[in-house]
Formats: sequence, structure tokens, C-alpha cells
Amino acid sequence: MPSSQAPPAGATAVDPTAVRPDIADARILRVTPAALRAALEDLKRDGFSMLLDVGGVDYLEREPRYDIAYHLLRLPTQAASAGQIGQPERVRVLCGVPGDATTVPTVVDLWPSADWAEREIFDLYGITFEGHPDLRRIQMPDDWEGHPLRKDYPLRGVARERTPRPSFALKSNVAAGTPASGRTAAGLQKQIAEVRARADGHAAPNPLQAKDGKQP
Amino acid sequence: MALGNSGADFLLTTVDSVARWAQASSVWPLTMGLACCAIEMMTATAPEYDIARLGSEVFRASPRQADLMIVSGRVARKMAPIVKRLYDQMADPKWVISMGACASSGGVFDNYAIVQGVDTIIPVDVYVPGCPPTPDGLLYAVNLIQQQIKRGGRGGILARA
Amino acid sequence: MTVTNAPDATGGYAVDVIERGEGHMVLSMGPQHPSTHGVLQVITEIEGEIVTKASPEIGYLHTGIEKSAENLFWSQASTVIERMDYLSPLTNALCYYLAVEKLLGIDDQIPPRANQIRVLLSELSRIASHCVWLGTGGIDLGALTGFFYCFDLRERILDLFEMSGGARMHPNYIRVGGLGQDLPEGFLAKLDGVIDMYEPRMRDVRRLLQKNPILQDRMIDVGIISADEAVAWSLTGPTLRATGIQYDVRRAFPYSGYDQYEFDVITRTEGDAYARFLVRLDEMDEAMRIIRQVRKQLDTPGAWQIPDTKFAPPPKETIALSMEALIHHFKLVSESFRVPPGDIYQAVEGPRGELGYYVVSNGDNRPWRVRTRPPSLYNLQVLKKIAIGELIADMVVMIGSLDPVFGEVDR
Repeated sequence: MPSSQAPPAGATAVDPTAVRPDIADARILRVTPAALRAALEDLKRDGFSMLLDVGGVDYLEREPRYDIAYHLLRLPTQAASAGQIGQPERVRVLCGVPGDATTVPTVVDLWPSADWAEREIFDLYGITFEGHPDLRRIQMPDDWEGHPLRKDYPLRGVARERTPRPSFALKSNVAAGTPASGRTAAGLQKQIAEVRARADGHAAPNPLQAKDGKQP
Repeated sequence: MALGNSGADFLLTTVDSVARWAQASSVWPLTMGLACCAIEMMTATAPEYDIARLGSEVFRASPRQADLMIVSGRVARKMAPIVKRLYDQMADPKWVISMGACASSGGVFDNYAIVQGVDTIIPVDVYVPGCPPTPDGLLYAVNLIQQQIKRGGRGGILARA
Repeated sequence: MTVTNAPDATGGYAVDVIERGEGHMVLSMGPQHPSTHGVLQVITEIEGEIVTKASPEIGYLHTGIEKSAENLFWSQASTVIERMDYLSPLTNALCYYLAVEKLLGIDDQIPPRANQIRVLLSELSRIASHCVWLGTGGIDLGALTGFFYCFDLRERILDLFEMSGGARMHPNYIRVGGLGQDLPEGFLAKLDGVIDMYEPRMRDVRRLLQKNPILQDRMIDVGIISADEAVAWSLTGPTLRATGIQYDVRRAFPYSGYDQYEFDVITRTEGDAYARFLVRLDEMDEAMRIIRQVRKQLDTPGAWQIPDTKFAPPPKETIALSMEALIHHFKLVSESFRVPPGDIYQAVEGPRGELGYYVVSNGDNRPWRVRTRPPSLYNLQVLKKIAIGELIADMVVMIGSLDPVFGEVDR
């Protein structure tokens, strides 16, 4: 059963965005927090009028630690007659945020829909957005401590992590010093044959003495 | 009832059983729909399953007017104080059905956000397994509540919990 | 006059009426409310009956699904992901698996029959989801009969899900590389029954609701959104198309063979609640049009899963006969497949709008991150804007017309 306590099954990449396969799902741009607003304003002027989503990712061992992914969409252009719809296009802007300087400028003035998305990243990752009008928790209760989606936050929460489950999977319940039971596979086969013979109503032939031929 | 007068005893137990019959025949649930189980709870009011024929003619939005709280769906940590407050606001006698795996035990979500079983915050009378349970399961649970009411425990003319 | 959402003395988060003066009142609608379509709290400031400010508060159903998915195998994560948009679970699973299949590089090997069945189930989910929206939207306005008609139609569709996937909701029928199993015997006959039942039923529903003067009175010119506002607030789906913008992911970025089916992208220009109502009704008809086209294709049998058993389990009959099948099955169940490192954004057209998943893999057998692009979150956010100036009685109409699902909003 996989869990946050289990190590990865094999060799893993520290920065998946750097080694991604050649899939044409979106044009990808990587920016620093300082260059973020300029890049997004340029794209908006270029026709990418819809901010589809703002999402955060925590790459624990990478420097910069976090990525904020801005997904933008250029809508198909309207035309007077149907059939002349232009091609829609996607852009993904990845902004690397270092773990020790988690502040990024807000884009709420460019797209009002970024309001709740940025609040969610603040709530679940702890990245603050400068200039956001109402930066407070949105998913977790107001008095929650910690940022749950960070990779070092335990899955079951800080309070419950002290009692990991299921404990029977992690340790053996045979006390140390218990002698071996003496049961063997052969003995088990014999036991099964006896039980079956009792059910059939005659004495069981001993499988270890099958070639005997004697009737008990 | 220590009255010594068997005639009065007979009258009171009869009145009590009539009261219990009335309560069991009109268990009105509170609209406590949280997640996917809420959709199956709504389907239980739809024509195929029709919870109204068991007496649950209307679902009351106000806890003051409801007898039964069907906790249908996963209870988030943020929602838990509200569930507790609504339970406290319900008038006695009241019953609780914990519908679905998430309400009964946390379900698939053994994590920081979900209360692992609503019975950690309110007392539950009937648990319905499933993810989500079919509306048949919910109807059976309401049947069990009706049996509980008629058999004894909470309810009757002395309607204290 | 202050409004806070901090916990009160009993630890509750609901903000009740906290100050009244000069006809100005703060009202907390929810999180337990018969008409908020789930656990939504809207802290409304009203002057008399007119809303001056509406702040929706969400998070009352936050389930940590994305964190749970990071701790499950790739094939197990779909069980929790399906529980996000619980009105159309197969759509979530489809979008997630499309993303995973692209990262694995097997998206061009999905057999045609698997794609046809995926399209069929997506469109059935769309109709089922719109049935719930229509029924509950009607109840909010007092139209109970429509609820019964719509949920009966939905029952027949859930019967189909139960036949094919095993469960009415959350069947986990769509898997990596195709489906969990082929369509069982009798499915196509039942599907024909649903197709025959659909038209007369929707005619009845439209007769009940569409030209109903009370419904029109309550919905026309309520919650008007202009096309520019819709783009600025990142609306998608029927909410966007009711403002005139013709964006449908099935047309813009086709997936699972949607480019071979004929269907119209329904748009209206008024942008009010009635326009959204009509768009969704017409979308149900278009979904049934697609289902009819798929139904003709389903008569030819075919493979329902990719033959590569490194990702999709081998057929059960071969496990007892072939060592390789047994090993693959064992590997898939005990430690699942590993997805090469990379990130991808994949979107589908859900009943609420563009449902997207930004999936990041670091090469392990568990997802590193599954970020949902929840259409309901953005659709609901516009309530802050459109509620201003409307009557308090219209709040219910507006929330219903935006069609939020809180499993998706809060995740």
C-alpha cells in the first residue's frame, strides 16, 4: 500500500518539468517571480485573455522549491459566419518560487478570477501574493496551522500522524522468544487429508505412506 | 410508571405506544446533504425509491423542525462544528443516520481534512455502508430507525433523550 | 460595521445576523441551506431586499483529494479523483486518465471501441448531471414535478452505469488504456431504452418549465454576465456559452474521437440565468445526438483495452494460463506501473465547463501532483460580481444557474 512513508519505487526525477516528453499540450514559458507580471501582461496583450487556472506544485528537493503554474487560453476568435472560428491556443507559465522567499506578485488586477486561486495556493502552500486584497485561508479553517499540500506536511495531519495505521502492517505481533510452532507443510497436508476423509466417512490414507497399500 | 394502578399503567403505555407509532410514521429528516451521498439521498426522495411512503414526507431545512439528521457525505474539519451545532439545535427526540463510508468512518479519505467518522462528534443510531450506498440502503436505515423508535429508547410521550 | 468569519464562542464558523441598522443587514446564507446546492456559505450584505455585497465562503467540503492522490498508485488515484465532481464522476476519471495516457505515450493506441464507450459514458454523465441541475434548480423555485421527471430519467442512466461499471455513482469504469471490462450483454438494449425514453421525457420537462411564466419571471434578466466579464472571470461551460462565446473543449481541443461526431456548440447572447437554463437544456439534446451516433458504432465489436499489459491488466482468463500475464497482473496490483517524468495539462468539457488536470509525474508509481482546474470554482466566484444589485430572492436563482458542485470547488 503506497503512502507518504514509503520511499519511491525507483529512480525519480527531481525536476519533472525539465525532462518532460515532447507532448504538445501547451506552449511552456518559465519565469522568475520578478519577471512574472511582465510576462503575463505581454501574453494578455497578445490575446491570451482567459486565465484558466493558477496552481501550485511543491518539488521538495529542487531549487527553486515551488512552481506556480499559470494556465492561459487564447479563445477561438469570433467570426460573423460560423466555420471561420480561429484556433484556440494554450500557454503555461511556470514561475519558480524559492523555498526561503515565498512571495510572488498577484495578478488579481489582470484577471479577477485569480482571487480564489491565489488564496488557495496561500492556504495550501504558504506562498504569499503581494498586492492581493484579501489574502486569507480559503479551504482550511481560519485557525489551521501549517500548509497541507507541502510535501513535508504529513498526509493524515500533524495530530493524527502520531498514531500511524495500520500498525499491524508495520510490525509483527509475534513476541520475541516464541518457539517455532513445529508445524510443517507436510503435516498440514496430512491434516487436510484426515479432515477430508472424515467428511467422506472412511479413514484417510496417509499421503506420506501412500505406497503402503495396507488398510489401517 | 410506578403508579400502582394497573389501569393508569395501561393507559400510559398505550398512549406511549401510540406516540411512538406516530413518531415512527413521520420521521422528518434534516437536509444535511454534504457530498455524493447527498445525491443518493435526493434520489431516495425521487419516484424510484420514494422515501415519502415511509413517512419522511418532507425534508426540513430548519433543525428545529426535523427529527432525523442524515449525515450524508464526508464531514470536513471545517464543517464539523456546524454539524455539531445543527445537532444541538434539533429538538428531542432526535435520531442520526450516518450515511456512507465517509460519515461512518472517514471512508476513502484517511487524511488531514476529513473527520474520521461523524460519531466522533455526534451520537449515531444507524450506520449505512456504501460509497455511496444505494437509496435502498438509506430506506432500510430509515426502517431501522422506525424499529428503534417503536421498540424503546428515545421517543414516546416522555420525549427526553 | 464589521463582518468577520473568525470562529465564535462555540467554535462555529457560521456568521449569523450580526448587525442591523438603517435597513442594512448582514446575513449568512449557509453552509447548511436547502438551496445552496451543497455546503456553501454566502455572507450577504443587504439593504432592504437588495444585495450590496456577497462573499461566498467555501472549504466546507475540503477533502484533501489532491493530497490523497499523491499517496496512491496511478490507477488507485482515480478512485479519489472521481469523487470530486460527484454528479459526473466518469468525466473526472476520463480527464485524469487522458493525462496519464499522454504522459505514458499510449494515447494513440487506445482502441476505437474504448474511445466510443468513453464518449458514450461522458455524454450520459452530462445528461445525468444536467438532470440533477434541472431538478434541483426547479425545486429552488418551487417546481417539484420537474425534479421527479428528471430524476427518473437519471435513474435509467445510473442503471447503465451500474451495468457496465458496477456502481451507480463512482463506477471507476474508465481505466488506463481503455475500460475496466467490455459492455455487458443487455447493455445496448437498455441503452436503446434510454434513447427512446429521452425525447418524450424532455418534451414533458420543457413543457413544464421552459415557457412557464413564473420560471421566466424569476430567471430572465437575473445574474447577467457580459462576454468580457465572463472571460475576465474565467468562466467556462454553459455559463460562458450563454454570454455568446463559443468555446467548447470538445471542439477546441478534441479528445477521444470527438472530432468525428456531429454536434452543435450551443450559445446564447443574453447572459442571464434564463439563457444559461436554455443552453443547458439544448446541451442535453446535443448530448443525446452524440449518443445516437455512438450507438450506431457500438454494434461492431472490438478491443476495449490496449493490448499492452504493462499498463492495462491482462484478461482474467489468461492469468491462469500464461506466466507473463500472471506476472504483469501481479506487478500492476502490487506496485502499479511507473509513468515517465513530466508535466501535462489535459482538459475535457465537463457538464460545468472546462475540467482540467495538471498532472506532474516524477517517474514514480504514484502521481507527484494532480492539480485540478475546477470549473465550478471559477463559475462560483463570479457570484461576487453578479449578485450585487439583485434581490436576495435571486441569490438562489443565481447559484442554481451557475451549477456549482462543491466536491469540485473544495476538493
